[in-house]
Formats: sequence, C-alpha cells, structure tokens
Amino acid sequence: MADTTTGTAARPTTAASAGYAARQAQQKRRRRRSRWAWGLPMWLLAVLFLLPFAWMISTSLKPDADAFLVPMQWIPEDARWENYTEVLFGETSILPSFLNSILVAVMRVLGELATATLAGYAFAKLPFRGRNKVFIAYLATSLIPAQLLLVPRFVYFQQLGLYDTLWALILPGMFTVLGTFLMRQYFVSQPDEFAEAARLDGAGEFRIFSRIYLPSAMPMISALAILTFVWSWNDYETPLVFLSDPEKFTLPLGLTSFVDETGAMAPGLSMAAAVLSILPILLVFLVFQRRFVHAMTESALK
Amino acid sequence: MTTTRTASADADPTTELPASARRRAGRSPADPRPVVGWLFIAPNLLGVLAFTFIPLVSVILLSFTHWDLVSGFGGIEFVGIDNFVAVVKDPSFWNGLWLTILYAGVAVPLTLAVGLALALALNRDLPGRGLLRAAFFVPYIVNIVAIGMTWQMLLDPSAGLVNQFLGTLGMQDLPQWFASSRWALPALILVTVWAQAGYANLIYLSALQDAPAQLYEAAQIDGAGRWRTFRTITWPSLLPTTIFLLVTLFVGISQTFGMIALITNGGPGDSTTTLSFYMYQTSFQFYRFGYASAVGLVTFLGIFAVMLVMWRAQRGRSLNG
Amino acid sequence: MQSRPAPPPRPPRPRPAEPALTRRGLMGLAGASAAALGATTLSGCGGAGASTDPDTLQVWSGLPPESGPQSLIDRFQEAHPDIPVRYTRYVNDDRGNLKVNTALQGGVDIDVFFTFGIANLAMRGGTDIAADLGDRVRATPELAGLLDPDEPMALMDGDTITALATTRAPNFILFNDTLREEAGVELPSSWTWQEYLEVIDALSGEEGRHGSYTLPDMPRIAIGPDYRLTAEGDSNFSHPAFLEHFATSAQLIRDGVLYPWSQALARQVEVYQQNNFVAGDFTSWVTAPFSLRFLNDQEAYPHDFRVSAAPMPTVEDQDWNTGEYGAFIQVNAKSKKQEWAWEFCKFWLLEGARDMLKAGYMSIISDVEEDEILEGLLGEGAEEFFDVESFRHTIFDGPPKLHMDTDLTAYSEISLKYEQQRDVCWLLERSPENAIRTVDRNTQALVDRFAEE
Repeated sequence: MADTTTGTAARPTTAASAGYAARQAQQKRRRRRSRWAWGLPMWLLAVLFLLPFAWMISTSLKPDADAFLVPMQWIPEDARWENYTEVLFGETSILPSFLNSILVAVMRVLGELATATLAGYAFAKLPFRGRNKVFIAYLATSLIPAQLLLVPRFVYFQQLGLYDTLWALILPGMFTVLGTFLMRQYFVSQPDEFAEAARLDGAGEFRIFSRIYLPSAMPMISALAILTFVWSWNDYETPLVFLSDPEKFTLPLGLTSFVDETGAMAPGLSMAAAVLSILPILLVFLVFQRRFVHAMTESALK
Repeated sequence: MTTTRTASADADPTTELPASARRRAGRSPADPRPVVGWLFIAPNLLGVLAFTFIPLVSVILLSFTHWDLVSGFGGIEFVGIDNFVAVVKDPSFWNGLWLTILYAGVAVPLTLAVGLALALALNRDLPGRGLLRAAFFVPYIVNIVAIGMTWQMLLDPSAGLVNQFLGTLGMQDLPQWFASSRWALPALILVTVWAQAGYANLIYLSALQDAPAQLYEAAQIDGAGRWRTFRTITWPSLLPTTIFLLVTLFVGISQTFGMIALITNGGPGDSTTTLSFYMYQTSFQFYRFGYASAVGLVTFLGIFAVMLVMWRAQRGRSLNG
Repeated sequence: MQSRPAPPPRPPRPRPAEPALTRRGLMGLAGASAAALGATTLSGCGGAGASTDPDTLQVWSGLPPESGPQSLIDRFQEAHPDIPVRYTRYVNDDRGNLKVNTALQGGVDIDVFFTFGIANLAMRGGTDIAADLGDRVRATPELAGLLDPDEPMALMDGDTITALATTRAPNFILFNDTLREEAGVELPSSWTWQEYLEVIDALSGEEGRHGSYTLPDMPRIAIGPDYRLTAEGDSNFSHPAFLEHFATSAQLIRDGVLYPWSQALARQVEVYQQNNFVAGDFTSWVTAPFSLRFLNDQEAYPHDFRVSAAPMPTVEDQDWNTGEYGAFIQVNAKSKKQEWAWEFCKFWLLEGARDMLKAGYMSIISDVEEDEILEGLLGEGAEEFFDVESFRHTIFDGPPKLHMDTDLTAYSEISLKYEQQRDVCWLLERSPENAIRTVDRNTQALVDRFAEE
C-alpha cells in the first residue's frame, strides 16, 4: 500500500531513492503485464466479435457458388473484384439506392434539427399557457411505436399521392417527439438569466435563441444529428412498406435486390453490396468517434 | 452584458425577487410574449399532429372497423368491439405475445449482461482501449439488412460457419437455426444481442468512468473484495443507467421486425411471428386493416403499461435518492 | 449518482455575430435548396400514372413485356389501330401486389390487369374492384368452355364473373433419365399412388441423392378444386388424405427418399429448384411447365442428361392434376374504357396463345398445334435433351384435369396456417397428427370468423 501513495513523502536519500526507483520500475513492469494480461484476451474477443464482418468481406470476393463451400475458405483463391464493380455499376447497381438513402437521411436530419431545436427551446425557455399540458401529451406520444402508425400513415400517404415517393420516408422523420425531448432536456439545463437579460435589452426572441442558446447547444445538436442520420440510414421497415418502385429504394431495400432469377440471395454480390453499405457509416464513425460516443452518452445520461 | 444587467437591476426594484417570483407577480419585461412560444413550437407540433397524432387517432378508429383497403373508403365497416373480441380469441395473437415477451425478456437482459461485462473488462488501462470500444460498437451502426443477410448465411444449417465450427468440435445433431422452429427465435436473439451489446457497453463504460473514484478507493482501503465492491458500490451506482438501457432496448427490440421480415417471414411455423410481425402480416398480407389496428392498439397499451411500471420504479428510486 | 447535479451555468461565449447567423442561415439555406432539389426529384417519380388518359388502354401485368406480352400487344394494335395500349409491368411479389391493390383502390388509371395466384385473386374478386364480365362472356360462344361448372376457369359468383383464367399449367413429374435408367426404373405412362411411392424409393440411392424433391399434392389429386373446404364451407382438413400426405412426406424425408425440408427452407428453394435438379440432388421432380424454361437453357443450366415426363399418379381412382388455371385477367370496375378493355381481354384470351407460349405459358384457348406448343416449351432441338413423346403424352393426353379454387374465404390466412404446420411437420419437429389437427382447428376458426364475407 505504501508504494502507491506517492508524492507526499520527503525527498529520499540516495540509497532510498535507488530502492524507490527499482520499485517504480517493478511496478511499471507489473502494470504493463497486467495491461496485456487483460488486453490480449479482450483483443481476441474483439476479433471474434467482428468475425462476421471478416466473413462478409471474404464472401464478397467469391463467386456465388463458392460461398457455401465446406470447409470454409477464408481467403478466396481468385479474389473476384468484379463483384464490387457489378454491384456499383452493373445492371442492379446500389448507387441509386445509396443516393436515395443520402437524400432521405439529410432531409430528415435538417428538418429534425430545425423543428426539434425550436420546439425544445420553447418547452424549456418560453413559458406560455398550456405549455405543460402540451409537453405531457408529447411525453405520452413518445411511447407510441412507429409500427402502430404504419397502417394509417400508409393510407394517408396513398391518399395524398405520396405513396411510393421518398417523402413518405422523410416527412414523419422530420417531426419527431424524441428529438424535441432531447433538445428540451438540454435547454432546461441552461440558465434562464441570459434570456431574461437579453429581453430587457430589447432583443427579439429569435435572436436570443439563435445567438445565445443555440450555439452552446452544439454538442447536443450534433448528437441529435448523428442519431437521426444513423436511424434514417438503417431504416428498413418504412421503405419496405412505403416504396415499391425499385428506383426509389433506399439502401436497406437495395441490398435485398441482389437475387438471382429464382429469387434466392446471391451471396457474393449481396455481401459486396453489404460491405459497401457499411463503409460510409463506418467512416463517419471512425472520424467522428468522439462526437459519436458523446452523442450516444448524451442522450443516455440526460 | 454584466454591466447592463447590474444597471437594470438597480433601476427596477422588483428584480430583487427570484425570477420565478417575478413571473408569478405578473409579466415583466423579462418575460417572453406567450405567442412566441407557440410560434417556436408550431413547426414541430404541426408535424407531430399530422404524422403521429392523427394517425394514432385513425388507428384507434380503425380498430373498431373491418376494412380491407382495396374496396376504398366506402368499404369501411363499423363493427364495434368485434375486433377486440377476436384478438382475445386469436391464438396467433397470444402466440405473438408470448414470442414477443420471450424474445425481449431474453434478449434485453442478455444484452445488458454482455454489455456490462464488456464495460467492466474495458474499464481499466488497456492498450488501444478506444479502438476496442469502437470494435464492439460497430455492429450497432450497421444496417439491419446487412446484418440479417450475413448471419443468415453464417447460421446456414449445413454450410454455415457456425455449424461448421460446431461440427469440428464434435457436436452431433447440430441446431438448424433459421430452418428450425425451435432454434429460429434463439438465433434471432443471438444476432440481436451481438448487434446491441456494443451500445450497452458504451453507455455502461461512460457511466463507470464517471463514477467518483473516492468510493472505490475507500472500498479498497476497507479491504473489500472485488465481488463485494461490485455488488455494493458499482451495481447500485449503475442502476439509473441500467433502467435507461432497459427502457430503450426493450422498446427497440419489441420492434425488431426487419430481421424477421428478411429472414424467417414469421417462421418456420409461427415460431418467429412476434406481435410486430403479426401486425405487418395482418395488414399487408391479409389486408385486414381494422383487425391489425386492434392488434396494434392492444400491443401499444401493453407496452405503455410496462413503461409506466418502469417509470414509476425509476421515479421512486430517484426520489429515495 | 441518482440525479446529476445541474452543470454550472456557462457564461455566454462571446460570439461574433457572423457564425451564429451563418450556422442557422446555412442550415436554412441548405434545407431550402435540398427541399427544392428533393421536391423535383421526388415528385417527378411519384406522379406517374396519376392522371387518367382517356385515349390509352392501360394494361398491368406481372410478366416482363419482352417475354411475350409485347408481341401480343403489337398484334393487337395492328388489329385495332384505334386503341393505343400502354403496358406496365409490376413485380409479382408482396410489395408489387400491394402496389397494384393500392393503385386500384386509389383510382390510378388502370383498365386491364392480371392477377397471379388465388391469394391475390381473393383480394380483387369483388365487384367494386373488378368489372362484372358475365354478360360479355356469355355473349361470346368461344369462351363458353371457361364456364364449365365442374372445372371452372373463371371466378364466378352466381351470374357475376369478375376474373377469367388465361393459362393452364398442368403439373407433371420429370425424370433425370440417366439416373433413372441407372436405377433400372421404367418410364411410367400412368401409375397409381402406390406405384409412385415404389418408384421414388427405387430412385433414391446413395448419400445425397433423393428420389424426389417433394411428393405431389396428394389431397389435391384425390379431391380436386376447393379441397380445403367442404361443400358447406367448413374445414376439410380432417379428410384423411391430408394427414396421409403430411405423414408420408415426413417419413420419406426421414428416410432420405425426399429432399430434406430444412435444407429447402434454409436455401430458399421452395419455389424454384432447377439448380438442384440439374445438380442431381434428386432424380424425379414434381413441377410445372415454367421450370422447362430453365431446363431448355443449356447456357445457364448446362446438363448432359435427358429429361422425360410422366403424368400425375392417380389416388384411389381420382385423377385430378395438381396444376391450376392461372394468370387471371380482370377489368377495372372503375375503368372508363370498358369496351376497349373487353376487346383487349377477348384478344388475349382467343388469339394470344402463340405469344404466351414464348413466355412459357400454355393458354387455355389455343389455336396452336401440339408440336408447336412442345417446341415452345422445350425449345428447339428438344430431342437431344428431352424425351419429347413423353411430354406429348403427359401434357396433352387426358387431358389433365386442372383446378381453380373459387371459395376464397380467408384464403391467405388458411394458406399460411397450412404452410406453417406443413413446415414444422416436415422439419420433423411436430408430429403429423398434431400438425393436421392444428390446421383443421385454425381453419375452422377462420371460417367461423370470416364466412359471411
């Protein structure tokens, strides 16, 4: 125990300092050993955990017939890069669905940020009669699973002529209760004084919002943006119901279109498409890792 | 800013009161006009009304009707509570309910357990810890179709990697995974836990790292063993995080419709026809929109009830501090 | 740790006016331009077919135009230059059919449409969707054959007719002749159920080779149309044929005579099995004419064995074929061009046989010679890879009695229940008795619930 409490002892003598140094070195070795004692198994576990992705990549470079060879062939003899060119530029290219996904995701994020920040701020900082009632209604609504609304939304979009358009995916995603909730939580934790002072100065409400509170909400805003983007990107259920024209498919649907003429999944092409579909998100994640983690934990701990 | 504030504070005697008292005393120049609040809310509110609230009302109304969509609005037939009676009598509904409870009831705790175990293991000085944490998190951000397609092939009964491996271990009578009515749901659970554990890990890790070090040091000085420390200090401190994860994972998982639609289509048999998939089947394969709405409504009320219980539990805990 | 303390108030960061505005403004600007861009892209795609064109006949079908329909339409246009036709193809799966249903309901301009499969027909059989063609059909003597009450080929409800079948797809049993001769089995020209079982037992040999993919739908052979329901509309699944079918199949799967069902489900070959047949996984194969399309394609499916055909075995002297009348043609009840639509239907039914043959379909009313039909189905140079005479005998002699279910009560739901139980039974995870009992019970409940519709 005495080894670990450091700093407060008086300067040791030469002999003591030699012993001290030796003890420090021994501790460092012990720590490094313990680092690796844990590190190695964790790294092995991580590799195991990610094995499906390795398999995905391996299969994406094989001709379809080889995908189910027993025993498994990790490194294909003849890496079939044509799978990738076929998936990107062939007859059923995933590029259109890629673009559709991007379009939908970007629109949703922009719309969501715009409406949620405004509403969240209002719930937090702009008192008005009935505000609490509306907020409670919001809370209750947040529990509604989107699936329940699939049927009526389907009917409405079809009546409005929005069935089989990308708007059917974008519109519901632009106005969510959850986003408002998160922003409100954030703004609530901000002090009121600045708004009051600014109002006494004669500043308009929107200026108070945009110049004072909004800038400092950037962490939460980027959190929301990331969350919304990821949700939109990975959404499979909504496009499954609301889209039918293959040209409008978003990426999850587009991935399922790599079937041979009997309707069975073509493993090589499907995996190549899957790998390509993961890359953008993976890239975003690796680059913005800190922001990503922050986004996840912000929403959790607020 | 500060100078101006003090100036006006001096000028107006009522600013000596706290802000809330000022508001109660009547509107002051420091308060916003009410209409602004409404304006700010308007975009979001209108959208929510249009795309969430009105559909919800429609579902409630539809659940009292028979409607097959194809015969148009003229074909809507009001039938009172017939649908709800039918729901109670419908074996597929009860099967779906059981499957949903089973699925969520196993997948969620398992996800938490794995996430927590990973977090505890990672909550120490490890080489490349950030990268490790990222590695476990990657499956969470991959889209469900890519995950579904991959695991469907990994779990192929004869040539999939998993069964090949189990075979080399000498196992006979290998589980047929998605081609078996006994193993399809466990297979789904396996994939779900794999995909979600990284998220739980992340949240737990952040919570662990926020924990005040003094508590642990004090325990160490007192000579508490690792398990005792965990039980008396770590676990209670993670309770709010756990409840948060429980809520978010539970709601999310009850809706894991994507994988079922992609791989099993509710089968084999009806072994993966959870409530959410049954709703989809009833609407878009059987064209019974009224009945599907009734099923959905009953499900929603069920989830709502469970949420309420959890919410009360959490509030109770935080009140008890 | 129970409640997080509020973070200390952050002093307002001195922000120059520009960035705050720019950020908001940028968002707004980006949003507006994206919206504008998006709107043009999105609405452009969504509006197709929303308006009614009084001068064009809109035809929707699930077949790719180049495989036959287009040439039919071209000939129709020659015969009727005053009726321009626009052909729209939909994919015949759940999503595609949903699109057709919503289009029909939503008033999209469709005049003539095709329905594939009885389950989909159940959705579109009502007179609010499909026009009543009863009088027109009865006024056309050439179509009288469709109205045979014992072997209906149209969806009739009293005098109302809302759908007409256009194709017939007799099922048959194909043999990989090389393997068959190896096993010493003679090609049957007619056989009983018992003989059939003996044959496939003889055909199954060493590891990995099965006698057949599945058994033919034996209850269908014994009972014929509407076999799931009794004449009173109750569940017919207590009929012993169903239990026998489940049980025999399960036993043969267990014995290795039939292809393992778990494999069929895992690899999703329940609909198309030509890859397995070509690879020799099973020696005989119960299938329909559409499979011939693959077998006569030596490029995509090269194989060196000959294929011969045998008709369905009889069951207790009943000789229904398990094939059905299909590809139902219907007229949209809301169509404003009823006359034109009927002209098109008549043309398709009476004169479209040759074009449909290209797509691998045999039309019900056909002026095409047997030889030509065989050539259309088996391809040119068929002699090398097909025992043509056996096909002639199998497809034309009889003629095979096909069916069309007309009692469509809860059709999709009953089908689903049946298939679910069949799957677990053939996966050997449920006894045939339990499986059939479940199907019977569920069907009766469904009938009780939905019978009045």
